[in-house]
Amino acid sequence: MRLLSLPSPGLLAKTLLFVLLFGCLGQVVAVKVALDPDNWGHPEGENCVSCHEKASPGLAQQWHDSAHKVAGVNCMDCHQAEQSDADAIEHEGQIIATIVSPKDCGRCHEQEFKEQAGSVHAEAYAIIKDRIPALAHNMTGSAMQAAGCDQCHGSLVKVRGDGTLDPATWPNSGIGRINPDGSKGSCSSCHGRHAFSKAQAREPSACVRCHSGPDSPDKEVFEASKHGMLYAAQREQMNLHADTWVAGQDYTAAPTCTTCHMGAAGKIPTTHDVGLRNAWNLNQPVSYQQYLVLFEDGSKLELPATEKAPKRGTELEKADGTMAKVKAVITPDRRRKVMSLVCLECHGKGFTDAFMTQFDNVVELYNSKFGEPAEAIMASLYERGLLTPLPFDEPLEFTYWELWHDEGARARHGASMMSANHAWWEGMYLVGRNFYSRFIPQARAVAGEQAAELIDPVLASTGQHEWLGEPQQANPILGWMPPPAPAAPPVEPPVEPAEVPAAAMQLAPAAAAAAAENEEAAQ
Amino acid sequence: MIKLQAPHFITRHVLFALVAGGIGGVVFMFFLLEFDHYTSSNEFCTTCHSMTYADDSYQSTPHYNSPSGVRASCGDCHVSEGIIMATYDHAIGTKDLIKQLFGPDYDDPVVNLLHLPEAAFAARDWFRKRDSATCMRCHTLEAIQGVRANTAAIHQEETGGKTCVDCHYNLVHRHVPSEQTFKREAWNAMVEEEFGLEPGTAAQLLSSE
Repeated sequence: MRLLSLPSPGLLAKTLLFVLLFGCLGQVVAVKVALDPDNWGHPEGENCVSCHEKASPGLAQQWHDSAHKVAGVNCMDCHQAEQSDADAIEHEGQIIATIVSPKDCGRCHEQEFKEQAGSVHAEAYAIIKDRIPALAHNMTGSAMQAAGCDQCHGSLVKVRGDGTLDPATWPNSGIGRINPDGSKGSCSSCHGRHAFSKAQAREPSACVRCHSGPDSPDKEVFEASKHGMLYAAQREQMNLHADTWVAGQDYTAAPTCTTCHMGAAGKIPTTHDVGLRNAWNLNQPVSYQQYLVLFEDGSKLELPATEKAPKRGTELEKADGTMAKVKAVITPDRRRKVMSLVCLECHGKGFTDAFMTQFDNVVELYNSKFGEPAEAIMASLYERGLLTPLPFDEPLEFTYWELWHDEGARARHGASMMSANHAWWEGMYLVGRNFYSRFIPQARAVAGEQAAELIDPVLASTGQHEWLGEPQQANPILGWMPPPAPAAPPVEPPVEPAEVPAAAMQLAPAAAAAAAENEEAAQ
Repeated sequence: MIKLQAPHFITRHVLFALVAGGIGGVVFMFFLLEFDHYTSSNEFCTTCHSMTYADDSYQSTPHYNSPSGVRASCGDCHVSEGIIMATYDHAIGTKDLIKQLFGPDYDDPVVNLLHLPEAAFAARDWFRKRDSATCMRCHTLEAIQGVRANTAAIHQEETGGKTCVDCHYNLVHRHVPSEQTFKREAWNAMVEEEFGLEPGTAAQLLSSE
């Protein structure tokens, strides 16, 4: 991103993007710090170490084993603070801060700081801030925000009036932490204190604290993929401790999370903007391809590519509500291209493109068959006042949430990283089961008499739910075949306006009961 | 029989005055001892309502409740050892009494908390100027073992040029930042939040004094 700051008048936006993404051709190794060593090696550092070797020997030993120590970087170089800093404290005669923010690390690691700023990682708290109360406060209690949400997304760190850090918001090393100095993120989210080992951060385990579990099972997906299989078998050939770590050059055994999402590969430079190479957003009710908007002030924003790309120089509202001027826009195609270039280190172009097609097909199937109809049905139920706006006070809201947030995300992530099991059994199979056996029946019950108007047309418009209208199809999978002939005429389903949903309803005792009630009421 | 010849200026009156003065002096010394002892006690200090806030936090710390049963009283820490210095400290301490009587309403928990930082800074200075002498009434540096293996080593090897209070503050009373990093606005905001006051109330209270 450093090249962004160079004036490039007369260049077309496309050229600029090319320069942006591929301009640093020579720079395929991890960036060395630009700062002169005169700026570190604080004289008080030795005193810290001397005491902390006794007071917290584990921490001190980690530092002793670190590249920081070898380079002469000591405690004070990272922890020193100004008296005016909100979280400054006096400690053994020195003014320090407990929290070392990305801004602090960025004194030396300038490029990494700039790259991560505005990334989907750095914005992880800001993105969900308004959504937290529904589950963390209403449904459970605020204790869960500190122990749950904030552990991954980061907390809004509160410095109390007495200078202490509020335990409701700290300790925390969530990736989108809002630090007392205003910077966003936490380097130690992935880089374990106080050793800051390169090898540790290159391991998939650096990511699994958050990227695991029902809603983003990337750990499980990776482990169940060919990539994970090879990594597990050939870990000792990963060259994890190497100074430079370029895929295809320094290691070829297997890719890790870092390899594809951040790592240097062939011509592709390394980046600390972890979402840069993601063409899709896979964690929404409906997936969309996304632009990456780069602002003049160095911040970034992801925008759905369903809308027109913003022009250079226009003012846009950022995730935090402030306005900024657009400097450049990276299209989803361009982002996909960068990701694909990583694949090409080990795979052919045809293979890579075809894999991406398989992946895209899954996302589009999810969107059109389940995500979009479910979203439309929910919207109409809210609009008619059949659901209260309050989230999670009605069972259907949990059903819908799990449909896209857990099962739907699993299916899409499984397809994106080649775990057949997660794409299908842990993913789209559960999406289908939920959709037909819980979501639609519950939505019908909520819609009551308006079901024919609110639900049936949505299902019909997708053209993908007709199979329900053919109840006489053969059934080898469940071990029952209709008797050859003459077959008894099928039992007439209860009178319903539309064919397709009438069949769907048979799967749903709750909805059938509701419909029966409606009929009784009508009589 | 030896007859003592008193100097001729020792008249009966002088003799009487000497004896009375001597007895009076001894009585006064006993009075001072008892006075300093009493005025160093928790009971005396907390006769002012304003001091009960300091008492609350103190009672939750090991200086009040230690496993060994040793309990440090207000005066053990805040009044110097020796009758002369103890009396001096108490004499100086009367300014607190004057402030209690004629100053802001320290009995009010909000006013009390707003003024706590200045009190803490003054107390820390007091300890520092006396080389933490009152700490060392009970604690002997060479004898500090601690419960963790390295606590003794830290106290033997890392304490050069330092006095107890340089490292050990915020032990007994409510947490107050160091004077260097103290931020009045943040402190006021904390007090306002704690007592459910409108923002700006704290500054108004302080300026109206």
